[in-house]
Amino acid sequence: MEFYNKPGDFDAINYVPHTESHGTKELWKTFFILFGITIFDFIIYFVMPANGFRNFIFIFFGLVKAYYIVGAFMHLKHEKINLALIILVPTLFIMGLILGLLYEGSMLEVMKSL
Amino acid sequence: MANHTTTQAEFDNKPMWSGGRSPFDVSYGKLMMWIFLLSDAFTFSCLLVQYGAQRFSNVITPITSNWPNPAAIFNHFPFLHGLHLPLLFVSVMTFILILSSVTMVLAVEAGQRNSKKEVEKYMIYTILGGFAFLGCQAWEWVTFIHEGARLYGNTFGITEQGYAHLNSLTFGDHFEWENGDRTVGPVPFAALFFIVTGFHGFHVFSGVVINVIIYIMTVRGVFERRGHYEMIEKTGLYWHFVDLVWVFVFTFFYLI
Repeated sequence: MEFYNKPGDFDAINYVPHTESHGTKELWKTFFILFGITIFDFIIYFVMPANGFRNFIFIFFGLVKAYYIVGAFMHLKHEKINLALIILVPTLFIMGLILGLLYEGSMLEVMKSL
Repeated sequence: MANHTTTQAEFDNKPMWSGGRSPFDVSYGKLMMWIFLLSDAFTFSCLLVQYGAQRFSNVITPITSNWPNPAAIFNHFPFLHGLHLPLLFVSVMTFILILSSVTMVLAVEAGQRNSKKEVEKYMIYTILGGFAFLGCQAWEWVTFIHEGARLYGNTFGITEQGYAHLNSLTFGDHFEWENGDRTVGPVPFAALFFIVTGFHGFHVFSGVVINVIIYIMTVRGVFERRGHYEMIEKTGLYWHFVDLVWVFVFTFFYLI
């Protein structure tokens, strides 16, 4: 590990660890994956009839895109696992909340028709 | 203790949480940027939760929902007036944002190699991408408002005749609303669209402003004198977050 500041004079505010370049190969690969998924979404939109399964495909590939943006573009794959977890675990709870409130939303529909 | 210099081994062997080192091996600024992005993710989640609940409370059957059909509304393309081109323009916007994300991450990579010239080049590309996206969004809003979208109402509810009309269209056909195609629909539709895409567009705008500031600082050699380009990484995190939010806005507002 390399430091811009010497370890002896650790200063929590100005401490900056040296970040290594991982090359541009991974970045371009990620770009083509994101681009390909967008094209795929576009095709699926016209080929498949609108139904729950198509929506599932869209959400699934949205999450795949999110994985590549956060992992490769935001370098979270190269950070310490502890940091990755404090970022990612709370978002799982958010997804749970969204699913729960979608169910509540469909109940609102039932209430309106009573 | 002033004369004692800690060796690398001593530093690495320090207990993780007892002070004198960074537990996550990131700088203060980068950690705070991550925390800010997490809280911003919660903000956007609140908006999407509201959107999802409203959407699900307006489903009669999956096919004949009285929720407006995005394919019938966002089917315009600049300079191709009157044609039915659903999803095409939004896909172009998505492509622009992904491309500017790539140039941003290339600027970050150039910064890690301390290559000032390359950082400048890629920052310019990123800023141009941001402006292009904002321009597209402005055009989209103007068209949508011109079609009759307002914050306080919704005239995009589609009747059975409207569904028959839409189902008869194929990609690229001539399209205009006919009398009786549209009726009053769920009120929060346009309001949620404006609030969520507006809030996202505001993020893009502030991202562009930050990128311009960072570009000027790069040109003036601030980071070269500082010895590292970590500031590019921090603004890059923000810019990628904006791209990340757009992935979900694209999925929930246009695809589904």
